[in-house]
Amino acid sequence: MSFLDTHLLSFIVFLPLVFAGVLAMLPREEHGELRVFSLIAMLTGAALGVYAYLRFDPAGPEFQLLYRARWFDEAGISYHVGVDGIAVSLLMLTAFLGPLVVLASWSFVTERVKEFHIALLVLQTMMLGAVVSLDLLLFYVFFEGMLIPMYLLVGVWGSEDRQMAATKFFVYTLGGSLLMLIALLGVYFIAMPAGSRTFDYATVYNAFLSANRELGACRGDPAACATLSPLAVTLRTWGPWMFGACVLAYAIKVPMFPVHTWLPDAHVQAPVAGSIILAGVMLKMGTFGFWRFAFPLFPAATQEFRVALAAISVVGIVYGALMCLAQRDVKKLIAYSSVSHLGFCMLGMLALTVEGATGSAYQMLNHGVSTGALFLLFGFLYERRHTRLMSDYGGIARVMPLFTAAFLVATFSSIAVPPTNGFVGEFLVLLGTFKSDLSLVLAVLASTGVILGAAYMLWMVQKVFFGQVTHGENQGLKDLGGREVLTALPFVALVLVMGLRPQPFLERLEPSARRLVARANVARPGAASPDAELLISALPLPPAGGTVAKSPEAPPRLPLRPARLATPPSSPSGAPEGVRVAPASP
Amino acid sequence: MRVPSIPAADFLPLVPAIILLVGACVLLMTEVFLRSPSRGYQAPLSLFFTGLAGAVSLSSAFEPARPVFQGFAAQDPFSSAVTLVVCVALGLAVLTSSGFLRSRNAERGEFYALMLFAASGMSLLAMSTELITLFINIEVLSVGTYALTSYLRRGTRPAEAGFKYFILGAFSSAILLYGAALLYGATGSTKLSEMAVVLPAALAAQPALVYAGALLVAGGFAFKVAAVPFHMWTPDVYEGAPTPVTALMSAGVKAAAFAAMIRVFLVLGKGMDPSVPLALFSGLAYLTMIVGNLLALPQRNVKRMLAYSSIGHAGYLLVGVAALFVTAEAPAGDGFRFFGATPLLAPGLSEVAARADALKGLLFYLLAYTVTTVGSFGVLAALERSEDEPKGTAWDLDRFAGLAQRRPGWAFAMAVFMLSLGGVPPTVGFMGKLLIFRSAVDTGLVGLAVVGVLTSAAAIYYYLRVVVAMYMRPAPEDERIPVTLSWGTELALALSALAVVVLGILPGTVTDWLQQASTLWLGQ
Repeated sequence: MSFLDTHLLSFIVFLPLVFAGVLAMLPREEHGELRVFSLIAMLTGAALGVYAYLRFDPAGPEFQLLYRARWFDEAGISYHVGVDGIAVSLLMLTAFLGPLVVLASWSFVTERVKEFHIALLVLQTMMLGAVVSLDLLLFYVFFEGMLIPMYLLVGVWGSEDRQMAATKFFVYTLGGSLLMLIALLGVYFIAMPAGSRTFDYATVYNAFLSANRELGACRGDPAACATLSPLAVTLRTWGPWMFGACVLAYAIKVPMFPVHTWLPDAHVQAPVAGSIILAGVMLKMGTFGFWRFAFPLFPAATQEFRVALAAISVVGIVYGALMCLAQRDVKKLIAYSSVSHLGFCMLGMLALTVEGATGSAYQMLNHGVSTGALFLLFGFLYERRHTRLMSDYGGIARVMPLFTAAFLVATFSSIAVPPTNGFVGEFLVLLGTFKSDLSLVLAVLASTGVILGAAYMLWMVQKVFFGQVTHGENQGLKDLGGREVLTALPFVALVLVMGLRPQPFLERLEPSARRLVARANVARPGAASPDAELLISALPLPPAGGTVAKSPEAPPRLPLRPARLATPPSSPSGAPEGVRVAPASP
Repeated sequence: MRVPSIPAADFLPLVPAIILLVGACVLLMTEVFLRSPSRGYQAPLSLFFTGLAGAVSLSSAFEPARPVFQGFAAQDPFSSAVTLVVCVALGLAVLTSSGFLRSRNAERGEFYALMLFAASGMSLLAMSTELITLFINIEVLSVGTYALTSYLRRGTRPAEAGFKYFILGAFSSAILLYGAALLYGATGSTKLSEMAVVLPAALAAQPALVYAGALLVAGGFAFKVAAVPFHMWTPDVYEGAPTPVTALMSAGVKAAAFAAMIRVFLVLGKGMDPSVPLALFSGLAYLTMIVGNLLALPQRNVKRMLAYSSIGHAGYLLVGVAALFVTAEAPAGDGFRFFGATPLLAPGLSEVAARADALKGLLFYLLAYTVTTVGSFGVLAALERSEDEPKGTAWDLDRFAGLAQRRPGWAFAMAVFMLSLGGVPPTVGFMGKLLIFRSAVDTGLVGLAVVGVLTSAAAIYYYLRVVVAMYMRPAPEDERIPVTLSWGTELALALSALAVVVLGILPGTVTDWLQQASTLWLGQ
């Protein structure tokens, strides 16, 4: 276990921030230098992200690459980071998108270049930090910290109506995250007795577990409600409220119907980089929030409201698709398609079957890749023509064949045509939904979303790319240049790789999905798993002034080697193996 | 008549205040004896005395509490901590003053001397344990701030503000004095230590007298800390006073008045039914948090907005004060409990520990609020142009438009201050709120904590409006960039922004220190 392993996540998270500091000192006229510097930062981050992804042992314990340091003992806050399967996947996705975002803005952003790249790098740190946090407050800091740079990206470098869009985005998400803060404070206050209160995720989860079991028993048999422990009583009273606050916060971020209205505006007005990050990573913070916090911490409330949430997700799927059919603005169409796709993610999670949850997680990655690619490619077109209206295009395939090919691949991924990645994800989600105890009607309605999706995307593609060139301005458009091909290629490659060889990705997601389902089913009578499978074994608080760290012992594996099937997690009870406690340094 | 003998050691605790007084006199002397046209040396000189006073009070922070001057004052960790907060506020205010005054051709020794006089009053107020001494020190600090408020006497606003502050201040002092007189009538003593002994008997004999006295005293303090419904003067006075003075008032005066209030009511509370001060301060806290934050919402004048926000922050501090009065065996159903099932005091928490926690939260919040608010007034002071003042546009939100392009450093500092005032992590404002609300929950005052969190959430709206203006709105074309390039302002902004961030990320050292100080003081 090397120094790199223990600090790997911290390196990945804070590297962009350090580079942002370096950038702040560079002269503002040196646009080229600024761009190269932030590209280097993002590339290094991407390399480290991929390394972390490979370093993660799918068969190993739940949380890996752990690191914990004392921070503010007084309030029970520690710096605790670690990744499980879904977190490492999102980490990789975020790190991977970083350099592409810089490349995509290479010629798009020409004003206040320095501030732009600083905002990008700070945003990158915040997103990566939110994914790896294992401390409620640390998560909140990063979650909230994302808001400001994103707000600036939309509000300063966006198109004509940017202020309205930025403000709308900010008000919605800030309202949501404040609610979440209240919920997290509630968790903090009730999970542990005064004096040993903590924001540590593992501790809080483990403290809630038996109370949640009691609530599960109480749901099945009213007689059990009479003998609840004090914590269970509190959770029974306040759990639904805290769950509701969390749900609202994450639902805004996802965004779920009917709190999605900020998304189309933000996407339309955002610069290319903003759109890619927004679609690629930030929306996932919502689904990730459900996955990490809302469902595991409040399983009883989850069971209670699951059907309603699933119904809302299906409404989102169908509504988003119908809205797409009515759009004339390409960016708006892609934005509404996000509402529809994220509805699938939510539905898969709410199905509470391993297939559904795995598909949901896979769909999170897919959506980042495919929608990111669509925004990126459309950004190239927008840069040439400065219009978003479909009617201003037509016959683009004749003048920009390379571009059209790439766009088609992204479109196929988005509408889940085999052998693209989208197919694997949506198939798993629908499979999981049909297998679950949710009403068949929901599953069938969700399936119509797939059909509608094909309809609106292909309709848009047809209008923009095929037929005669109807507008003279489009006649002279240049096809993609070297830098643009370089930016688009990774997306296309990933679409195909993830479609043809999903195992290396799925084997990391599946154990996480299994645990999510087990944790959410704690409060379902008769479906609960034993404690050993549920308790989270993370790191203990290190001695004063010291740190603890833990990383997988196995060397990194190449992703394309034959995959082992994920085994159920080894027993995490007792002292976790391989924990190294570093003594206080003098 | 017996002349009381006072040992020389009794003067030791006064050293910080004496240093400030000496500094004030030296500054006055410089006006007489040094005839140089430049007065650039005055700010560093005041800063030197401030730093010295702060260092002395820091060094005596862990000395055990002891009464001095036959119980008229006390030296304890609490007074040291408050003096330290006052010195921080004073130092930062002095730093912003020099550039501010120079741009108005008003840099004089009197200004700094008045500031130091007022600060010595604040420091002594934190130590007073006798009602007359306390009253005199309130007057010392008040007279200083009255004069400072109307220091720029050529404008109309300073005169109006000074007059208003003086009339209302005198009125509130009279109320305080009347309350003290009633308490004296009931207990036969003005020394807090003696009152504590006599109070139970006095309460049994004349409950109305004691309660009336306590209420009047509380009203007097509520005026000084700008708690609702005694807040009416705050926006006008804060707006009219020279901005560095506003900074000192909003941080230093508040800290000292809170200190005196806590000292008096910890003693009075011991004698009476604990639910009375609890209800009193909880009620004040509810009102102050809600009204202060709601009134701040529509303000477009940033200085007025900060004034209302300072009322709101007094509300959060009052939450901490209310938490000081919770006892383990308080009667059930007092109306301030929220979680039906939890006991009043969180299990495993002794009364002293809970109080020490609350006090630590209070002191930390005072420090957090001081560095943040003085910093944000510093930005205001740097931005305002004297010619705008008669038009009333000197502090308009529009003045902040596009500041990020013109002055990225100032804009960043201001953004940090706004986020901290709003309680967004990882700033010191968040940590302060977390500590205060946590002790509120621990003592069963969940309703206060919930209202506190909700009002801070609402407050983010008006704080962010400043950030939006700075970063999103274009700078007006004809705007003349203010060139009050003063090292003092820049240094003050840098220091307070640094403190906000560093204390927000690593509050551990300071909270440990305050924890020790609070436990030391309360645990005796």
